[in-house]
Amino acid sequence: MTEFSNEKIDTTQLPRYEAVPLTALHPNYWKELLVARGLLVLGLAIALVSALIFIEEFIDYRWIAATGFIVFVVLLLLITNITYKKKAYAFRTHDVIFRSGIIATNTMVIPYNRVQHVALHEGWIARFFGLAKIEIFTAGGMSSDLEIPGIAKEEAENIKQLLMGKIQKQL
Amino acid sequence: MEVNFNQPQRQSAIGVLVIFLEMIFVLVKNIWPIIVITLLKAEDKSVWIGLLIALAIMVYFGVYSFLKYRNFTFYIDADIDEFVINDGIINKTKTAIQLHKIQQVNIKQNFIQRLIGVYAMDVDTAGSDQKEGNIKAISHTLALALKSKLLENEGKAVIDQAEAEVAQAVQTKAPFLKINLVSLLKIGFTSNYVKSIGLILTFFFTIYENLHQAGAEDLVDTDRIKGLVDGYSLLYTMLVFVLMMFTVIFVINVVRTLIKFFDYTVTKQKGSLMLTYGLISTQSTILKPEKVQIVKVSENYFQRKLNVLEIKIRQAISDGKKDSKSLIEIPGCNTAERDEILKLLFHELPLKGVMMLPNFRRLIFSVFLIIILPLTAYFTLGKFVSPEVLEYQTGAWIYALLMATLLFFGYRNYRLFVADKHIIKQSGAWDVDQEIIQIDKIQAITTSQLFWHKSLNIGSLTMHTAGGNITFHLGQFDQINEYVNRWLYEIETSNSNWM
Repeated sequence: MTEFSNEKIDTTQLPRYEAVPLTALHPNYWKELLVARGLLVLGLAIALVSALIFIEEFIDYRWIAATGFIVFVVLLLLITNITYKKKAYAFRTHDVIFRSGIIATNTMVIPYNRVQHVALHEGWIARFFGLAKIEIFTAGGMSSDLEIPGIAKEEAENIKQLLMGKIQKQL
Repeated sequence: MEVNFNQPQRQSAIGVLVIFLEMIFVLVKNIWPIIVITLLKAEDKSVWIGLLIALAIMVYFGVYSFLKYRNFTFYIDADIDEFVINDGIINKTKTAIQLHKIQQVNIKQNFIQRLIGVYAMDVDTAGSDQKEGNIKAISHTLALALKSKLLENEGKAVIDQAEAEVAQAVQTKAPFLKINLVSLLKIGFTSNYVKSIGLILTFFFTIYENLHQAGAEDLVDTDRIKGLVDGYSLLYTMLVFVLMMFTVIFVINVVRTLIKFFDYTVTKQKGSLMLTYGLISTQSTILKPEKVQIVKVSENYFQRKLNVLEIKIRQAISDGKKDSKSLIEIPGCNTAERDEILKLLFHELPLKGVMMLPNFRRLIFSVFLIIILPLTAYFTLGKFVSPEVLEYQTGAWIYALLMATLLFFGYRNYRLFVADKHIIKQSGAWDVDQEIIQIDKIQAITTSQLFWHKSLNIGSLTMHTAGGNITFHLGQFDQINEYVNRWLYEIETSNSNWM
């Protein structure tokens, strides 16, 4: 094992991950989220309406159900919007930064020399909007894997190539 | 004896017996209540039928285990560097494990194998979910030969280890650490209370459930127990019960520790550690320092007084399911031995560096969540729904007091120590754990901050390693960020091998 020197580092002079300007996700990602949530809401609405039609006693609760449903939809939209706005990413020379979260702001940093492999995923809704998702895997298991959604297809392809190049160089 | 492992090999011929006995053992374990009931209530005729069935099962098992033995072969494919196992009578399975993926080779012996005098061998890999190599019956010399063959190419990969090997050759045989009986007894007396209570409860419930299913509740005479209880005052019975419970827990703890860890020996071997232990079944595990991710040193008040502690070592894992397998325990070493082990695993003694304290909001939040919320729910329930639950008020207050004490000590022990190369997280109320990781084993870092904590400058930090995560909640956030930047710099500028 090569002994490496460990001179004193001026920590105030190091590049700061928290000060890096992050790139927001593609605006089409908001549309993608809306379609996905819309399908969910549609499914629920169908279930609710069929319950109203087929279960007789349920008719008494129709106003409560309707109000509940509307509140749920509004909340869902709000949360989805926050999720969308919060998500942002940045690729630095040596690591990738991804921010997400609703109540909390989670910032994850993965150095390229810890990346095991990179994958590109296109969901069917995402493909419709020309978007793709980059998945970055480390050896740390599920909790330290990273998914960056809502990146334009060609850009995602470029990023994947970039990451692959970085990993190759490490080996 | 030089064995050519490149040709397909069978297990030891006596392995037929091992497979056979193991099958019988599993069967008896599963249906013993039925057997007991049949024997207790049987008439002559049903005994004969039972015997016939037993004989048929025996013959079936015999044929099955013979075929299983005939069809089980293993060999090393030298061309593609793979360890191949063929298995299965009708459905054939071929398991191929690439040699460089092999992480551990364990030679074990359970009770049956010990009786017959053969060993079992497990081949563990780091990643895949797939079933891994398991040879049930192999002689000791053969097992050792195969083990060294399987782990051979690892030595080739790491060249500088050759020198270390020469240096260590002199002291190879002398055990590096041997845990004596007294230490094991101390550990047995001072740890795992909760686990033992769980075990006792499971045991009783299993027996009850089995008897219940077999319709033999009348075997336990409830009236007699009732009569016994009525004879004395409630307090006295409670006292006796608690005392009995504690005695049983102690006994079980001690016996369990002794059986599991008897004759715990650690020897150095080619730069890695070889652990052997166990009374009834001997386990042997190889531990490679470079694969160690998290080392946890636990100690409680009694153990500190008796100078014993427990070490748990987590190696690289890829999925949660194999959690228990990647965990290696070293029970009952003293502080000097702990330092020796840590030195060996980390190449130096990890120092406690700069201390970081959690914000007091952490204590307040946990008190709110664990004491105030349940108590409020309890009293609301008592006041408005069913007043009879309030009869147990004393219990609620005892709970609150106990929890408050635990939470307070938990908060007081909650610390993060950051040194140049290591991070130590200390936590726990009664059992105080110190989790040690090396900075260059970090895979990824996550920081997290609730939006109302922004102006307070507090937040959380999670370090992801291949052996699990370490999280520190509610520390001073700008300091956390400074550390993160420093660690990222260190990880990204060095080329150290994290596994």
